[in-house]
Amino acid sequence: MTIPLLEIEDLSARVCDKEIIKGFNLTINEGEVHAVMGPNGAGKSTLSYVLCGKPGYEVTGGSVWFKGKNLLAMSPEERAREGIFLCMQYPVEIPGVPVTTFLKHAVNAVRAHQNLPELDTMNFIKLVREEGKKLGLDAEMIKRPVNVGFSGGEKKRLETLQMSVLKPMLSILDEADSGLDIDALKVVADGVNALRDGRRSMLVITHYQRLLNYIVPDYVHVFADGHIVKSGDKSLALELEETGYAGFIKEK
Amino acid sequence: MAGLVQNIPLIGAEIPWLRQLREAGIRAFENSGIPTAKTEAWKYTKPRDLNANDYIMDSRGETVTPGHFSLPFDGYRIHFENGIFDPEQTELPQGVEVLPLAEALLLRGETRGYLGRLVDLKRHPFAALNTGYLNEGVFIRVEKNVDLKKPLILINHTDSCGRNLFFNLRHLLILEEGASAEFVEIYHYGGEVKSRYFANIVTEAFLAPKARLQHYKYQAEAFKANHIALTAVDIETAAEYQAFTLQKGANIARNETRVSLRREQARAEVNAAYLMNGWATIDTTTDIEHLAPCTFSDQLVKGVVGGDAKGVFQGKIHIAPHAVKTGGRQLHKALLLSDTAEIDVKPELEIFADDVKCSHGAASGELDEEALFYMRSRGIGGEEARRLLIDAYLEDVIAKVPDPRIRAWFEELK
Ligand SMILES: Nc1ncnc2c1ncn2[C@@H]1O[C@H](COP(=O)(O)OP(=O)(O)O)[C@@H](O)[C@H]1O
Ligand SMILES: [Mg+2]
Repeated sequence: MTIPLLEIEDLSARVCDKEIIKGFNLTINEGEVHAVMGPNGAGKSTLSYVLCGKPGYEVTGGSVWFKGKNLLAMSPEERAREGIFLCMQYPVEIPGVPVTTFLKHAVNAVRAHQNLPELDTMNFIKLVREEGKKLGLDAEMIKRPVNVGFSGGEKKRLETLQMSVLKPMLSILDEADSGLDIDALKVVADGVNALRDGRRSMLVITHYQRLLNYIVPDYVHVFADGHIVKSGDKSLALELEETGYAGFIKEK
Repeated sequence: MAGLVQNIPLIGAEIPWLRQLREAGIRAFENSGIPTAKTEAWKYTKPRDLNANDYIMDSRGETVTPGHFSLPFDGYRIHFENGIFDPEQTELPQGVEVLPLAEALLLRGETRGYLGRLVDLKRHPFAALNTGYLNEGVFIRVEKNVDLKKPLILINHTDSCGRNLFFNLRHLLILEEGASAEFVEIYHYGGEVKSRYFANIVTEAFLAPKARLQHYKYQAEAFKANHIALTAVDIETAAEYQAFTLQKGANIARNETRVSLRREQARAEVNAAYLMNGWATIDTTTDIEHLAPCTFSDQLVKGVVGGDAKGVFQGKIHIAPHAVKTGGRQLHKALLLSDTAEIDVKPELEIFADDVKCSHGAASGELDEEALFYMRSRGIGGEEARRLLIDAYLEDVIAKVPDPRIRAWFEELK
């Protein structure tokens, strides 16, 4: 029997003394694409940060297993090296650090963890160029400081490029489509779909159904009141688009 | 105080002007004494931490292993061991003279006209003390219109062999009209990391009209050592002085720069960066005097302070009454890496002229936690991520180093 890639069991977490995740359960097997849909403020970004170990996000209960290992015991960098990647809703600007420097450090940190030799600058640039070309990205982008002065679309393209270069086992996409025009959305979707090889998995977090036309999920979950209230296949997303979230949120 | 005034052999004791100058230095030092916390100019950097009573001054007779300092660029090297000239010679090109100061005092009468001219003995007790021991150091003269292609590199290596050594170094640079040179000063140590010693350095530089001096300094002394330095520069018509200092070492390090923009179109750029941890105090003090119209100065100082360390910046811009159409800018920025790190900043503008453009600013901040998490979420280790952010922080000040070879060197060192 193969172990699941990710197993979230009865997870609870809080930010600033506010309980946001309450009894969350989800299992993702290798090769599966899961969509988690929920209204604004439901705690979707909080869930993605908790999975990545962001400081300030406190787990108050439950457990998370990644490839059978205790994820919650790992530092953010260990989680990334093990193969978790978060495509952030709001990518961070890092003045003074060029994309190439940043990404080269990331690639080599992950490679070192996999006992692979360090990539030298030439081979690294070659890799980034190739991946960038597949996504139709402007090669100049990688010379600029990380996300500084990038438009919303450029930021998401850079997230996608990082994902394509790092080739994570589990990609978590937090509102990957927010603020994107159709062209940029296609770049992101192409990047994600290129990683769908039957083994790698995705957790697609989104408010809108639109993205799921491009990244077609195997499962759809509705997230409200801190946990999953309903699960189904991709038709659930269409249903949500029709009815809205109101019917899923408990009367208070 | 007696600890820093001791009888040691000095060259040229029979030369009246030299004897008088030295005596004036000792007298001034004995009058003012070691600065106290009440001395305005030493308000933040506490001289009592120098432990000044506990040093020996005569280091002769000890054999030390010469320290090797490898550099990624070529130049004319001048070596000192424990503050004593090492006569290993490098081939010099035409038009430049480099002598140990002791020799220049005997052979070059012009030293008399220059030495001490830029140092106010009453205001600078340690420079006064240094004047009392004028002996070791380097004399450099670059002749009219000579453009030195390679830098002059002064390297002082200290290995105090377990003794608390105190030494004075005095450098004199004369750039004749239209001369152009780069001068790199390096202070490093060998042996015990905990060795206690005290380097007291004064550099006087004279830039004749249209001369250009690029002055670089790297200070990486042992972490219980003290390093007090005064650099005084006199800049004539259309001459230009560009300085960059990187400080990383010492228990107390004070790098003080006084610049006199004496004639029109004189320019000075005084930039610096410092990085420290532990208990260190690193002090950058500047005093830029605009003494003529149409003179320009620019200062950017950036520090990264961790542990219980303290960064001090005291920056003064003085504009004399007739020095109209001048421009003086000053900016200090610091990154604090811990809650116990400290920054003290004292900007001072003394503007007595109209029609001038002057500005000063100071800012301090911490490492961006969001950026750190972003990098860690890509697999970059916490320490490495911090390092990348610190490097990025110092990027702009190092980018101001005009010589690309030396800029690349500082990028590696920081
Ligand atoms: N750092 C924080 N401090 C306080 N409240 C927070 C913080 N981050 C998120 N929240 C709150 O947690 C809830 C969930 O936020 P978030 O996870 O961003 O939701 P979503 O991504 O689903 O829109 C919101 O009510 C939000 O205000
Ligand atoms: Mg969100």
